[in-house]
Amino acid sequence: MLSNLGNIFVIIALLISFILIFFSLREFKTNNNLIPGKIFKFSLIQLFFSISSFVILLIAYIFSDFSLVNVFENSHTNKPLFYKISGTWGNHEGSLLLWINILVLFSTLFLFINKNRDKNFKILTLLFQNILIVIFLIFLLINSNPFSKLFPIPLEGLGLNPILQDPALAIHPPLLYVGFVGSSIYFSAALAALISKIDSRSLAISIKPWVLVSWFFQTVGILVGSIWAYYELGWGGYWFWDPVENSSLMPWFVMTALLHSILVLERRIGLYSWVIVLSILTFTMSVTGTFLVRSGILNSVHTFASDPSRGLFILSFLMVMIFYSIFIFFKYAPKENKQFRMFSKESFIIANNWFMIFFLAVVLIGTLYPVFLDTITGSKISVGPPYYNLILAPFLIPLLFLMTSGPNYKWISSEVKSFFNLVLVVSVTLFLITFFLIQENSFLLNLILFFSIYLVTQTLFDLYESLKRRNINISRIISHLGFGLLIFFIYVNHIFSIENNFNLKLGETKKTTHHIIKFDNLEEQSVKNYKSIVGHFSISDLKTLKSKELKPEIRVYDKPITITYEASIKSNLFSDTYLTMSNISDTDIFNIKFQVKPFMNFIWISVLLLSLGGILNFFNREKNEKN
Amino acid sequence: MKNIISSLLLFFFITSVSYGNEDVTDQILKNLRCLVCQGQTVSDSNSEFALIIKSVVKDKIKEGKSEKEIYNFLSDKYGDWILLNPPLKKNSYVLWFLPYLLFILGAIFLFFLLKKPKIRP
Repeated sequence: MLSNLGNIFVIIALLISFILIFFSLREFKTNNNLIPGKIFKFSLIQLFFSISSFVILLIAYIFSDFSLVNVFENSHTNKPLFYKISGTWGNHEGSLLLWINILVLFSTLFLFINKNRDKNFKILTLLFQNILIVIFLIFLLINSNPFSKLFPIPLEGLGLNPILQDPALAIHPPLLYVGFVGSSIYFSAALAALISKIDSRSLAISIKPWVLVSWFFQTVGILVGSIWAYYELGWGGYWFWDPVENSSLMPWFVMTALLHSILVLERRIGLYSWVIVLSILTFTMSVTGTFLVRSGILNSVHTFASDPSRGLFILSFLMVMIFYSIFIFFKYAPKENKQFRMFSKESFIIANNWFMIFFLAVVLIGTLYPVFLDTITGSKISVGPPYYNLILAPFLIPLLFLMTSGPNYKWISSEVKSFFNLVLVVSVTLFLITFFLIQENSFLLNLILFFSIYLVTQTLFDLYESLKRRNINISRIISHLGFGLLIFFIYVNHIFSIENNFNLKLGETKKTTHHIIKFDNLEEQSVKNYKSIVGHFSISDLKTLKSKELKPEIRVYDKPITITYEASIKSNLFSDTYLTMSNISDTDIFNIKFQVKPFMNFIWISVLLLSLGGILNFFNREKNEKN
Repeated sequence: MKNIISSLLLFFFITSVSYGNEDVTDQILKNLRCLVCQGQTVSDSNSEFALIIKSVVKDKIKEGKSEKEIYNFLSDKYGDWILLNPPLKKNSYVLWFLPYLLFILGAIFLFFLLKKPKIRP
């Protein structure tokens, strides 16, 4: 029953997309300056059916309706309700439906709230959005239908991958999808702007809220994924330069570039074509990311749903999309012949773009090069964290420097500012104190630490200045402060992290340089959907003589049968103590990974600050537009 | 000029290798892919494969082999796929140099885009 209803709703949504495409094409030709009411009505109806289809899938999951293949494969009656709900988008088909829902919701929202008076621009944006909706709906119906039926109806489902049964991972995909799909709006708007030839300020104002929202969600989505990897994968790392992580980072770089370029566009200083290129590139990167994740051509820790036929579809779609975007771009792109003054705010923004595109290129090359090499020559190579660290780290220094000085330059100006001021003196002092405390020898690391301190100091001075002047727009300052702190804490964390790997039997004690680790006890527990072996460890610090209890687990989930290693983390403000244990087969020896990770919470908070800036800017937008 | 470039390259290379304070064995294990796992390093895995590699690396260190010799030994046996830090070879020139080339191209582009400041009298 639910299956048929779901299918019908999806098909209705698809038909309405065709109707909307037809209406938009017809409207585009008329000279009428108003969008007819029927377009608004049909959009709302489409939104209703699209959301309803998702609600139906949700209901099927909540009531464990195993007549749907999708529910059978990914759910189980014994699963807690929360994970039954999150299971809806914890698989490829369901997450695609969620993706389409966000796409439809955003198209409708754009139609209703965009204040731009240019009818053709709005109609064309709607047209491109609906072409995207049609393509994704057809993909859903033909290749990845969450409503496919199963007969005879099984009594029990196969269950959800236990690694995915986690609160952080339950909200992680929706967050990232808002980011990914949000970029479709400015993709469509960019193409529409080219054809309808709207001016730069209207384009900037139309897409700015979408860029801010998608950037914010993308940032938070990456953060949540990273926190999840930190405590769930059990290795103590939070970023592995894994292909799937990279594919969420690639659109982020372009979004960040776009976020800055829009500021230039808003002031009619230039970059019209460039903003359009970036808009197209962002969505292209989002789809590329999806392709890389779903096709399974990459070896990753995060690949839970992959199938080559999906990859082929997404790849063909990607090719067509890029081809048409380039075609439209070259056919309609206006000629711009702008020169920028060297020491002006816009030049620094262009420099930001230069770095963002460079970072994007590095991550893209690192992710795709092994695939190409394998296809062409058959030789397999790996590109892992050492590659990215080696190439990217030196470039953080000029980036941090540009972020420090750039924002204080004026628009369309060529006034050179002096570096020698109080901020530099304070930064050098702070750095010397840090250097004394850390005593790190690496020149590169010290440079990075210095420039991140410099950025943090500068932004704190800026913050004080703007609060004194009662300037409400502090979004840039908050974001840059967040970034400076992020880089600083990542490196301090890196320098001070302690890691010890060793084998222990029950009752034994291990002495490391700073700690004594005692394996006290081992107990078995039986929980609703898994059994677990819990180890009791006491860790005493040799310096402070304080003692901690840590209880890592080895869990055996029954549906499907999976073994997971749950890290035990004792977190206080400044430092995390992290312990994982795993059994070595056929012995009573356990392999213990003991880690002390300082400033983890500060890393998370820095990213939150970074994203907070974006959302502050979103709410201050109206005020900024007036001045 | 050549000396400056090579010493610069060496400088970045050294700083990246001397990252952090883990001992050499751990550092090596972190740069090896666990071939039977999904995207894990040997250091992070407890699969049989990882355990074997761990003991092999420990033995080689005891024998007094250098980091480079160990990487060479492992890549001869398992192919370059096991090395997370791709070695600079004919087939990885593009991988290592294309990013820098793109960065320089960007700089040239910016050079023409930006007007030089006029000298005020």
